[in-house]
Amino acid sequence: MSAPVADGVPDPGAPDLVLERRRMQGLRLVGLHLRVNVMNELQYRSNFAIQLIQSMVALGTGLVALALVFDRTDTLDGWTRPQLLVVMGVFTIVGGIIGFVIEPNMGRVMTDVRQGTFDHVLTKPVDSQLLSSVREFRVWRLTDVVLGLVVLVWGITGLDTSVGVLDGLAFAATLAGGSSLVYCLWLVVTSGSFWFVRMDHVQELFFGLYRAGQYPVSVYPAWLRLSLTYLVPIGFAVTVPSESLTGRLTWERGLITLGFLVIAFAITRFVWVRGSRRYSGASA
Amino acid sequence: MSDLAVAGEVDRLGEREGRVRSMVRLYATLARVSMMEQFQYRAANYFYMVGMVIEPVIYLVVWSTIARQQGGSVDGYTAGTFAAYYIVWTLVRNMNIVFTPFGWEERIREGQLSAQLVRPIHPIHYDLGSFAGWKVVVILLWIPIAAVLTLVFEPELDPTVAQIATFAVAIWGAYLIRSLLLWMLGMITFWTTRVTAIFEVYFALELLLSGRLLPIGLMPGWVQDLANYLPFESTFGFPITSLVGPITNRELVEGLLRQAAWIAIGAIGVNLMWRRGVKAYTAVNG
Amino acid sequence: MVEDVIRVDGLGKVFEVPVRDPGLAAAAKSLGKRRRREVTAVGAVSFSIAAGEVVGFLGPNGAGKTTTLKMLSGLLHPSHGDCRVLGFQPWRRERDYLQRITLVMGNRNQLQWDLPALDSFQLTRAIYRLPERPFLAQRDELIELLDLGPLVDKPVRNLSLGERMKAEIANSLLHRPKVLFLDEPTLGLDVTMQRRIRSFLADYNQRHGASVMLTTHYMADVEALCERVIVIHHGAILFDGPLRDLAERFASHKTLVVTLDEPADLSAFGQVMEQTGARTTLRIERSRTAVVTAQLLSEHDVRDLTVEDPPIDDVIELAFASGAVEQ
Repeated sequence: MSAPVADGVPDPGAPDLVLERRRMQGLRLVGLHLRVNVMNELQYRSNFAIQLIQSMVALGTGLVALALVFDRTDTLDGWTRPQLLVVMGVFTIVGGIIGFVIEPNMGRVMTDVRQGTFDHVLTKPVDSQLLSSVREFRVWRLTDVVLGLVVLVWGITGLDTSVGVLDGLAFAATLAGGSSLVYCLWLVVTSGSFWFVRMDHVQELFFGLYRAGQYPVSVYPAWLRLSLTYLVPIGFAVTVPSESLTGRLTWERGLITLGFLVIAFAITRFVWVRGSRRYSGASA
Repeated sequence: MSDLAVAGEVDRLGEREGRVRSMVRLYATLARVSMMEQFQYRAANYFYMVGMVIEPVIYLVVWSTIARQQGGSVDGYTAGTFAAYYIVWTLVRNMNIVFTPFGWEERIREGQLSAQLVRPIHPIHYDLGSFAGWKVVVILLWIPIAAVLTLVFEPELDPTVAQIATFAVAIWGAYLIRSLLLWMLGMITFWTTRVTAIFEVYFALELLLSGRLLPIGLMPGWVQDLANYLPFESTFGFPITSLVGPITNRELVEGLLRQAAWIAIGAIGVNLMWRRGVKAYTAVNG
Repeated sequence: MVEDVIRVDGLGKVFEVPVRDPGLAAAAKSLGKRRRREVTAVGAVSFSIAAGEVVGFLGPNGAGKTTTLKMLSGLLHPSHGDCRVLGFQPWRRERDYLQRITLVMGNRNQLQWDLPALDSFQLTRAIYRLPERPFLAQRDELIELLDLGPLVDKPVRNLSLGERMKAEIANSLLHRPKVLFLDEPTLGLDVTMQRRIRSFLADYNQRHGASVMLTTHYMADVEALCERVIVIHHGAILFDGPLRDLAERFASHKTLVVTLDEPADLSAFGQVMEQTGARTTLRIERSRTAVVTAQLLSEHDVRDLTVEDPPIDDVIELAFASGAVEQ
């Protein structure tokens, strides 16, 4: 197994070559780590069955909860059953993305910082934020993405309105943007571990908050809705993509998402750089 | 060999504290130790509690919205009673957090179980005692959270003295039952390490059949019937309803008796599984 | 004769482990039927240990030391054979038995991490149902013997590894066990701390007459504490007897250090290991020791002469090597 991995690693003995390749390095790193992780997880295929059961149980309980709601009413705060199915689908997809790449990588950074093994990241000739974000992949968590897509399609087929190509593009864009926002938040929280050693509780808090994304954030009272949108960007990650498919997305909302994303990336980068500098300062 | 000599030995070492007294001391010490520990982790406890509160807030918001849309109430539950239900829920939930079945794998892998096995006391006492101590901390930390929720959601709560008294007992009954149930669940790890899926299914059933997601009274009739024969409601729905109502005194007594029965069944179950489990464990692990 | 506290008779443990070849295809195949292989951790060992005896239990990693200790402390059910400790069958795990033994594992922590050790001691008191007076007496004695005074009221997490081990040992002895199973009690500690723990164990054994079974990788532990050693290798006992006989059994050579009046070539007497001036270190066959010594004394002007066994570490290594060959 070592051979196919080794041939992708830039030869350390040829610095010119490395520099030449730098432009492609980001993608290459992602590909490499993804490949290694896939190979690893393929050895434990029974984990796939377990993950499938887990995903189905989680989704199933969500659907039961929805069924109970629509047993009593036809609309919830103006959202119909198919529309809420769309929300449930997006919620599951984004949850899958988080479990696939965001959470494992951020968890690894926290452990690395706590145990001092973060040195290995900082001593590599690669951008530390990039490397820290693509080292771990839980391949089987993609089951959530697949199951989420199924529910999403199921919801869309029940919609009164039709979904056009433009809506689909808007959906893809807002989904990517929303997931990136979740990544930014998580990275900021993770960077917190450069200052305070234990941040796992904050992670727990996030998992708790993420559950709120099962319903459109507009159902929540103002204080919760605002914090779910700007503090913890679940509104952007789940509700906005759902809006794009249910004919609720306005141009302004899309632009706000984009603007917020740019700001969030800048803040995240700033915090990360300060944090990792602090780490090397502390350990030197 | 010297069975006689050994018998004499036993008598000489007889200077031990009485059974009951030492048990009380054990629980008091375990509870005190874990209280001290958990107070050190106030911040962590708060983060975790705030995260935990989101779950009932979701249910509460959704169901009070429905109640309002339906002209004020769903089967007699108004926004105010939903608020009462889910705020009391937060305390009951805190009370019935016990040692997680997911922790058993680590417990075995890291040798904690072995360490407990060489000591002359059943390991369940460690969990029961130390989590009970944690509960005291949790109740204290919970008060401000409950106050905020009360201000925000304006619950309607008007319990009788009998209800309050029953509630005070029932939350500990819920704690005991759930401890025993999850111990049994966790002990499955003795036989197989692929337990996660089993746990998840269990928790899903618990969510639907305990009154955690929705008051059992609002579930379809067949679910209510099913829940009657299962222990889950004793750990969630009953303690909450005992305080929030509507409930008759007769139902209060029945609920407590039901809890007692589940405690007995749980204790027997834990015992049987434990004996077999330790046999399996000492055959391969140690 | 002193009554045996531990009597082990043909005790053994065989594990069944699933077999899996490396590689994807093999992994997939193993999902269906699993092949199993029997691995003998401990063959069939027999020995007995008397009251008050301190026995060093030696062997390389994977020799079966820990497995044996686990069987004796009731954590593992043997596959065959029998044993009695204090008259009890350990794996029945009777309370009266557990009340009388202790198992200390060097790399495990049983103390409450965030609290002072004193609180953990209270917990131990409750677990072993110790009445107040004997508890306090034993606690204070242990605190004194182990120099724990200034440490017991600090949170355990703030103690160094060695300090923590001392507190751990104190915690394991509060109930005055009759039999001590110590698995690598000095693992990872610095030399001073190792010495401290050694002298404590010797002292404790003297005072209370407890039987001690000790596994360790540090021969200094063995030399300081154990008159008797049991060497186990590949699950079988290679040697059981006094420590001094170990060298006789496994080391075929002795070391002779001779200082003469004038430098001389002594290579005729044996293999010269080292020569500095008039001082020569010779390696000679054990059986020829007496002859060579006499010859040297008669043929040269010997100022000083010592006969030594090779260092215990070397002897142990030789013992393991011989075991490896036999197997």
